[in-house]
Amino acid sequence: MKDKNRATTSLLKRVLVNCSAQTKQYGSCVSSRVPEVEKDMCLKEFIVLKNCMQNVVFSWKTAPYNPYAAPSSDPISEGPVLSIRYSLDLKLLAIQRSVYEIQIWNKETGDTVSQKCRSESESILGFFWTDCPTCDIVFVKTSGLELYSYSTESRNLQLVQTKKLSISWYTYTHESRLVLLASGMQCKSFTGYQLSSAGMIRLPKFEMVMAKPEANSKPVLAAEDVHVITVYGRIYCLQFDRVAMLLHSYRFYRDAVVQQGSLPVYSDRIAVSVVDNVLLVHQVEAKVVIIYDIFADSQAPISAPLPLYLRGFSRANVASSQTAGKPSGASGPQNSSDTEVTIYGDQWKFLTPDLVIDVSNGSLWKISLDLEAISASSSEIQLILEFLQRRKLEAEKAKQLCLAIVRTIILERKPVPVVARAMDVLLTAYSQAIKTGSYYKRITAEETSPSNGSGVNRPNAAGSESTAGIDASRSINQEPGIVSGNDGLSIGKTERGDFLEPDMLGGEDLPTGHSQIPGPTSNQLNSNASQRNQSQVTSSAATSPADYYSHVLAPIEEEMTGDGSYLTAIIIEFLRSCSLEKLKVYPNTYVLMVQILARDECYAELALFIMNKIIEPSKEVALQLLESGRQNLQIRKLGLDMLRQLSLHHDYVLLLVQDGYYLEALRYARKNKVNTVRPSLFLEAAYASKDPQHLAAVLRFFSDFIPGFKSTPDHQTYHHFVAELNA
Amino acid sequence: MGLKSESDANESMKLCVFDLRRGQTEGQELDKILFFYPPDLPLSNQLSVIGLSEGLITFTRIFSPDAPCEVIEAEKHSHVFYEAEPDIWMVLVVEKDSEAIWRVDALRSVLKEVHSLFVMFHGYVRALVDKEPSGGLVRSHLYYFIMDFLRDFSIGKKLQLPNFRGSLKEQGTLQMLTVGREAAIEVQSLVTVLESCVGNTQCYTMTMFQDLLVSTNLSPIDSLNLFTYAVLRLTPLALFHGASSWSHSRKTDTACNTYAGALLLSSGSAMDPYYNSRDTSPLRRHSYPLVRPLQHSKWSKGKDGFLTTDIWGTEVNSLVPTCPTIWLHQTEEKMFLLAYQHRGLTVILLVPVSSISGEQGIAMLKQQIIENASLKMLKVEEKLSRGWGGENAYHVSGYRYLLVDGDRYISRASPPGKVTTLTKESLIALSKLREEVDSEKVRVKWDNSSCEKDLEICIRAKNNAWLIARLIRGKELYMVLEKASETLLYASDAAEKFSERYCNGAFSLD
Repeated sequence: MKDKNRATTSLLKRVLVNCSAQTKQYGSCVSSRVPEVEKDMCLKEFIVLKNCMQNVVFSWKTAPYNPYAAPSSDPISEGPVLSIRYSLDLKLLAIQRSVYEIQIWNKETGDTVSQKCRSESESILGFFWTDCPTCDIVFVKTSGLELYSYSTESRNLQLVQTKKLSISWYTYTHESRLVLLASGMQCKSFTGYQLSSAGMIRLPKFEMVMAKPEANSKPVLAAEDVHVITVYGRIYCLQFDRVAMLLHSYRFYRDAVVQQGSLPVYSDRIAVSVVDNVLLVHQVEAKVVIIYDIFADSQAPISAPLPLYLRGFSRANVASSQTAGKPSGASGPQNSSDTEVTIYGDQWKFLTPDLVIDVSNGSLWKISLDLEAISASSSEIQLILEFLQRRKLEAEKAKQLCLAIVRTIILERKPVPVVARAMDVLLTAYSQAIKTGSYYKRITAEETSPSNGSGVNRPNAAGSESTAGIDASRSINQEPGIVSGNDGLSIGKTERGDFLEPDMLGGEDLPTGHSQIPGPTSNQLNSNASQRNQSQVTSSAATSPADYYSHVLAPIEEEMTGDGSYLTAIIIEFLRSCSLEKLKVYPNTYVLMVQILARDECYAELALFIMNKIIEPSKEVALQLLESGRQNLQIRKLGLDMLRQLSLHHDYVLLLVQDGYYLEALRYARKNKVNTVRPSLFLEAAYASKDPQHLAAVLRFFSDFIPGFKSTPDHQTYHHFVAELNA
Repeated sequence: MGLKSESDANESMKLCVFDLRRGQTEGQELDKILFFYPPDLPLSNQLSVIGLSEGLITFTRIFSPDAPCEVIEAEKHSHVFYEAEPDIWMVLVVEKDSEAIWRVDALRSVLKEVHSLFVMFHGYVRALVDKEPSGGLVRSHLYYFIMDFLRDFSIGKKLQLPNFRGSLKEQGTLQMLTVGREAAIEVQSLVTVLESCVGNTQCYTMTMFQDLLVSTNLSPIDSLNLFTYAVLRLTPLALFHGASSWSHSRKTDTACNTYAGALLLSSGSAMDPYYNSRDTSPLRRHSYPLVRPLQHSKWSKGKDGFLTTDIWGTEVNSLVPTCPTIWLHQTEEKMFLLAYQHRGLTVILLVPVSSISGEQGIAMLKQQIIENASLKMLKVEEKLSRGWGGENAYHVSGYRYLLVDGDRYISRASPPGKVTTLTKESLIALSKLREEVDSEKVRVKWDNSSCEKDLEICIRAKNNAWLIARLIRGKELYMVLEKASETLLYASDAAEKFSERYCNGAFSLD
């Protein structure tokens, strides 16, 4: 990766200093096997050492995130590195060598272009690649923005456009494609540009609010106090007001910047992450995270503050992961496996949107949400369900959690209205998902997933690294174990290059996979991007009525046998929600209802429900009615009637015969042309009635209507019986 | 009101209740009589009616111990018997005249109805008899109850019992409102809310719209009783007029008639020599907490939407009326009755007396219902009234019909206003047809109770109307087709069409 040590000393010395850990490992590996030395032994250690000794930049993809992925590496020339970024197509690598110079190296051709400031009066604050059609890379200088395009043929940078402006500092996120330029004495006047594939948009100038500690002092807004975040496709800017201890939020519209309110802050140091459209405000000093879901305009946190919890970090894991993704930190600290990880250590650097780089340990953490812990820490069932329904990254898990929550409140016999509201939330979300199509997306995604290893979801669900969660969540986690099982060992990749900004590597991909896709989204700064998102991320936590049956109603019914009326009420509310959303109910739900009512001998109610079509007719229901009707003739009749109404002629005739109504059955069979019921059944029934006339009539019927019946053994047998009865 | 009965000659009807286990010794015969109408009939006449009845019962029991005498058809009278409880008999004697062409079953259902209502409010007659062997308790209860009940039948000076004009009606059945699935779920959800107001105890609800039942979780028998009572006294119509359960079309003109009777009864004047002469013990209303649930014009809608009445008296030291109570037939549990009304919607809630601490508990419950459920009731009412087709909602043009589902005690018929367009001949003929069917049903029941017989009768009456009866698997369909074509095929087709379209094919034959 980088060598920042100006190598005045010998190369060997530098290598030994920087790669002592790797050298030691390799040495001990070799020495442990010394007599039997052979080729490729200790290969892993060797590669680690080799990589350490060269000037290489490593890059990992962070989205989709796969802790196992091997890094790609590119050698770079020696020299200082202030920052480094791959171009969007990964073919170019830009390295800022000083505040005056940026080098661009073409990986394919090996050419290097260097761009320097023309005058000493200006300096380069930073740069970023863009997919704007008119330019490729943007330099942010103290004197303004410079937009360059890079042409492979001429191998140079061409200045396309300049925006003159005095800039104190800037902030850019590729997700939002938005660069915010701070100017003024207090650095609180902002100019914004959005550089998307649709072109460049200039945002109106705006000022941020800052409280004054005293009348005359004028605090200066620092770059680290301003965070641009993207949630649900909307772009917000969060500004930390250290004096007021508030986090002000501004939302960007195409033509306006609107202040949205303020979140309280409880720490002098904060950091902001966005995971799955959830805003996490790290109260660094308090070592807790406050979670907000800025979907509605609610400023209330989703749950109580939760601690950050490192998961999947263990020595064994680190060792194993090192083999795969092994960075050779030139100046890196000791082997990370020997180091205790300090949560919110001073060296932690938060990267947009959800990564943390721990410089002192040389590791990169990805933040994921522990949905279980979050849902366990809130008692607002309705809110938490809505929250879970909006989660896309771990949609399957969110869905299971939602179902589990509903199951739990039913088992706890919460009042029916409470349960009803919970079901309303889920079914409304489901019907929404159906309408926007995201539900079907998920189905298709699931279908294709086996080959893919379910792409996005799985590794995250694996809970790669750090997690916002309370301790208790661990024990909860243990049980479901399966999910996290195989991921358990996938850990954070350890990487040791302080200057490597993973954000650049993965960051370039991230946006395409995630939110701001070129096209329409970047056109408008606001919301409708969220819809796009939904469908794009291909997953939804929506719970279908069938899920309800299999995950909530059916399991509960087994546990709550004694409480039929409560369950019936719950199912009624469920049906109400379904009918409000015009959702089709899974027939087994009705079967269950029939079972419950019949078990409690609520025959009158059952009949009423059938009559009102609260229980919709279906073959399953009809058969259950017949089954439950063994104890009650009326219920059995309901089942029969339902069969008839559903035109299930064969079953209907069969049952009529079984009940001894063979003449009626015969009439019905003839009218509806049912010829699939064996004649012998009718004959048996007629014989059982001991009425020779009837038996003769049935016999005659078949003789007349079934060609060749007279020659069957049935005919002869029963002909004989008729004679017998008459005798 | 007809109860004044100036003379016995004018009184075409007698109704008595007697207990065969009482007064079995010579000279004690009067003891048997628990109730007699007309009450001012000389005791000797009363005794002769009861004596005849008892004689016949005893005689027929020799041959048919389980089902003794059901009816006596004399030249001028019919005696309809009903054994309400073991050895408690009710006998209705009606005079035959030109207008009085009736079905015995319809008359008997009057007896059944008054008895089951009585049991709902007061418990079994036998229990009352046993409670006070002198008979004063049961007599005073029966007296007021049946007199109040009969007042619903009074037309002018006479009592109008069900006759052939009601042959397209079935007494003792529920009339249901047909609701869409969505509305039905809404109603059910309302029921859930009501139940959750009550808490953990098992309670029952009955939801009605106008005079029609929408939903209930009561057992069929209890539903029927409560429904009958609600139609008589609680529904919006019944509140406005002293309603008659027998004819919706007659409802309008009965209120004034009842007033005189109410005066008469409440004055406690010399109306019944029987009680006055016989009872030496202090029997009358002063000694017993007399509750007269069928008393007219006693229910009214309170400001909070709940129906109130002082029939059950008022709390000591307060003006709050005592909450009505009824007995459930199935569980023999005593329940408080709370009725809430919003426009056409009447919701009746039955809560076990044992689970509520007095009037205070009731008041709290009401409060809770108002808080939690009133909005929902508003919505339900709106939904139901939007789907409600009005008085003639169930009219099928060209048909005059009656549908009975004997399994669930449900019936539906052409609206009364449409039935009146039929000629007298058709109705009389139908009445006779039904009489036939009734006896056929009884025969089948004796023959073989396990298997239901299907039956179809199609008759062309003298006035060229077609009368059709179909009984299939416990369901009955009767219809009258006037001005129909001449062929039997046509009549049969018409019935078939009706069955397919309105009964889900339940009455379709071949």
